[in-house]
Amino acid sequence: MRLPSLKGRRLVSALLFAGAALVAGAVIGACTSDEDQQQAQAVEQQTQQQDQDQPAAQVSGEPRGNTLQLIMDRGMLKCGVKQTQPLFGNRDEDGNVTGFDIEFCKAIAAAVLKDADAVEYIDASDASTRFELLADGQIDILIRTTTITSSRDMELDVDFAQTTFYTGQGFAVRKDSGINSTRDMANAAICVQTGTTTEQNVADHFTDIGLDYEPTGGLSQDVAAAFFEGRCDVLTADASDLASRIVVRDNADDYKILPQIISKEPLAPGVRDYDSDWKDVVNWVVHGLIRAEEIGLTQANVAANAANPPNTEVARLLGVPFEGGSVSTLGFEVVDAQFIQRAIAAVGNYGEIYDREIGDAIPRDCTLNALARPLPSEAVDCGPGEGGIMYALPYR
Amino acid sequence: MSELPPIPRPEQQPLPPAGGPRRIVLPPHRERARRPRSVRAREWVRRNLFPSWRGTLLTALAAGVLGLIAAGVIAFVFFGANWEVITHNRWLLFAGGFPREEAWRLWVSIAVVFGLIGLAYGTWSSLGRRDHLFVLLVGGFVIFLMAHGGAEIWSSVYFLIAVGCMYLGYLLTYQLPRATSSLRTLQVRVVGGLLILALPIVLLLLLVGGDVGIRSLDGFVLNLVLAPVGIVGGILIGIPLAVGRASSLKSISWTCTAYIEIVRGAPLLGWLFVALFILDDIIGGDLIIRAMVVMAVFTGAYMAEYIRGALQALPRGQYEAGQAVGLNQWQRTRLIIMPQALRISIPPMVGQAISIWKDTTLVTVILPLRELKGNADSAISQFEFTPDRIEAYVFVAVIFWIVAFMMSRISQRVERAQGVGER
Repeated sequence: MRLPSLKGRRLVSALLFAGAALVAGAVIGACTSDEDQQQAQAVEQQTQQQDQDQPAAQVSGEPRGNTLQLIMDRGMLKCGVKQTQPLFGNRDEDGNVTGFDIEFCKAIAAAVLKDADAVEYIDASDASTRFELLADGQIDILIRTTTITSSRDMELDVDFAQTTFYTGQGFAVRKDSGINSTRDMANAAICVQTGTTTEQNVADHFTDIGLDYEPTGGLSQDVAAAFFEGRCDVLTADASDLASRIVVRDNADDYKILPQIISKEPLAPGVRDYDSDWKDVVNWVVHGLIRAEEIGLTQANVAANAANPPNTEVARLLGVPFEGGSVSTLGFEVVDAQFIQRAIAAVGNYGEIYDREIGDAIPRDCTLNALARPLPSEAVDCGPGEGGIMYALPYR
Repeated sequence: MSELPPIPRPEQQPLPPAGGPRRIVLPPHRERARRPRSVRAREWVRRNLFPSWRGTLLTALAAGVLGLIAAGVIAFVFFGANWEVITHNRWLLFAGGFPREEAWRLWVSIAVVFGLIGLAYGTWSSLGRRDHLFVLLVGGFVIFLMAHGGAEIWSSVYFLIAVGCMYLGYLLTYQLPRATSSLRTLQVRVVGGLLILALPIVLLLLLVGGDVGIRSLDGFVLNLVLAPVGIVGGILIGIPLAVGRASSLKSISWTCTAYIEIVRGAPLLGWLFVALFILDDIIGGDLIIRAMVVMAVFTGAYMAEYIRGALQALPRGQYEAGQAVGLNQWQRTRLIIMPQALRISIPPMVGQAISIWKDTTLVTVILPLRELKGNADSAISQFEFTPDRIEAYVFVAVIFWIVAFMMSRISQRVERAQGVGER
C-alpha cells in the first residue's frame, strides 16, 4: 500500500521529531547536573549491584550498595583521580599516575585487596563531571582535591571520609605591589578560577569588606599564567596551589603569598551515599596512616614492629597478637585485621606520604596538615611535622 | 611564497580548457622556459612582487608583517621556550600508559603502516611529486621525537627500520612495469586490499595478547587509533546509509533518513556524553570501544550525506547505460555508480576525516580518557614544568596540524590520481 505523499511526509516529520526529542532528552539527561537525575542513576546502579532477592521498593533510605564487596569481587579498585594537579594528582614522564592523592588510592587498595597496584586510575580531572562519575558507579572513590562542603554532602550522592589535606583560599601578589591584605585591593584586577567556590569566596569576601575589584576569570592554570604575565595584580586560589605554582618559577622571590586566608578548604575522599562499610574502611585507613605517624610506625619499620610489637596498641593497629594473646579485629568484620599494616607497608605513614609527594613545595610544619602535637597551648615553636590539626581517632 | 597576498597579475593567462589534462603547459611558459634560469627568476620576481608601485608597496608591507611574525617565532622557538617539558615527557605524550615492555608493538605497527604508505605511494605515484614523501617523513620524524627516549637507542633503530620499510615499499611498487595493464591491475588490487586490511592488522598488533588491552591505548597512540576507526567505520556505515536513503522502499529510506538526521542533529560532544552515561547500560564494553562506536556512528551520518550528494550528482545516463548493457541493480551500484560517487565525494569526506581527527581531543574533554592534549595537560601539571604551558600547547598544535596537513596532501594526490574534477 502506498501512503499519499503528504501523509507520508507528515509521518516522517513526526518520526524525526520524536527521534530528535528522544535524543535531546537523553543528551540533556546525561549532561544535566540535576540531582534527581543523579540520584536516579545511582539508585539504578546500586539496585543492579544488590542481591536479587532484595525488593527494589526498599531502596530509598536503605543501605543501597555494597561497594566494598563489589571491589573485592572485582579484585580492582576504581579510583577517580585528577591528572592535571601539580603534586596531588598527575602523570609522570612514563605515563604513571602519581601524587599525594594517588598514595591514598594505593593505601586503600593495599588494605582491601592486599595489592597496592590493584588500582584502575580513572581520570576525573574535569571538575564538572566528577560527582556524576561517582554517582553513576564508574568510580568507587573520588580522591581528587575535592573540598567538603555542606551543600555537596547534602545535595549530591557523595559522602566524605576523613580529610587528607587542609588548605584555604589565599592571595598571591608581587612583592613590589604594596599590597599587604585584601583591604589594599580596592579596584585591583584579581585573577580567579571561574565557576568554582573560589570565585564565590572572593565575591563574598569583598562584599563583606565593602570594596570593589575587577575579576579576571579562566581555568586554574590559565589564571595562574595570566597573573605571572602581569595581566592582573592578584592571584587567588588555594594557598597550597599558590605556593606550588610560585616556588617553581625562576623569579619566585618577586612574589609573596599574603598570610590572610579567607576560606576553609578541607580536601577529602568521596564515596557514594549509603555505603557505610566502604566509607568506614576508607576513613579508618586514612586515620591509620595518621596514627602510624603519631606513634612512629614507618614503611621501613612496620614489618619489624609487626613481628615483634612493642605494645598492645601497635599490635592492635597492625593486626598481630601481642605476647601470645589473640588478634584484635578492631571491630571490622568486612576486612581482615591486618589491613592497616598493609597500607603502611605500601605507602608509609601520613608524614612519609607528605614528604615524598609534596615535600618542601608546600611547607608543612606549623600548618593545619601537621600533627596536632604538642597540644596548641604548649606549642611555642613547632617541631618538624607538628603544630597542626592532623589527629587520628583511637583504634581500640 | 604562497603566504603572500595575491597580487594582480599584469596579464591574465587564459584558463586551460575545461576537461583538458592539467599538465599541459601553455605556449608562453614554454617559450620562457628556454631562457636562462636567472633571467626567468628575475622576470618572475618583477611580475609577481614588484609589478607596479602599488604592488611594490603591498609586497613591502607583507614582507614587513611576515618578518615580524618570523622574528617572534624564531625568538620563541630558539631562545624563549623551554622545550624540556616536551623532551622529558616524550613517552607520556606518545603512548602514556602503554606498557613499556610492549613498545615493540607500536614500532611494528608504525613499520607496517609506513611500509603500506610506501607501497601505496609507489603504486599511485605517476601524477605526484616527491613533496608528499617529505611531508610523510616530517610526520614520522615527530613520532620519532616523541617516542625516542634518551636512554633507548633501540627506538631510533626501530624508527629507521620503519622508514626503510616505507622506501622499500615505494621502490618495490614504483619499479614495477606499468605498461602491462594486467600486472598493473593486479598490483592495484593487492595494494588496495592490503590498505583495507591495514587497520585490522594494526589493531590486532596493538591490542591482542601479552600485557596489552584496549585500555593500553593512551596519549598520541589513542588519537592515532580513534581517528582511523572513526573514519573507516564511518565510511563503512555511510555507504549503505546513502544507498538506503535513495532506496524506493520507504521503510528503508525512512530508517536511513532518521538515522542520519538524528545523529547529525546533536553535536559529537553530546554523543560522547551518551557513550559515557547511557551506552554503558545498553551495550556495555570498555569506554574506549564505546567512544570508537560513537565516532564511527557520528562520522557515518556525515559520510552518508556526502555520498548521497555524489549519487545525486551522477547523470541519469550512468544508471541507464548500466541497464542498457544488462547489469542488475547490484552490479550497476558496484561497478558503475559507487566508484564514481566515491570519487566525487573524496574532498568532503577528507574534510570530515580531518574534522574527526581534531575531534579526537574531545575524549579528554568529555570522557575520562587521556589522549595527546590531555597528556600535555598532565605534562604542564608536573611540578617543575608548570610555567611551560605555552610550549606544550604549541607542540600539540603542531602535531595535530602536521597530521591534518598530511591527510590533506594525501587526499589531493588521491584526487589527482582518480581524476576528481575531470569527467
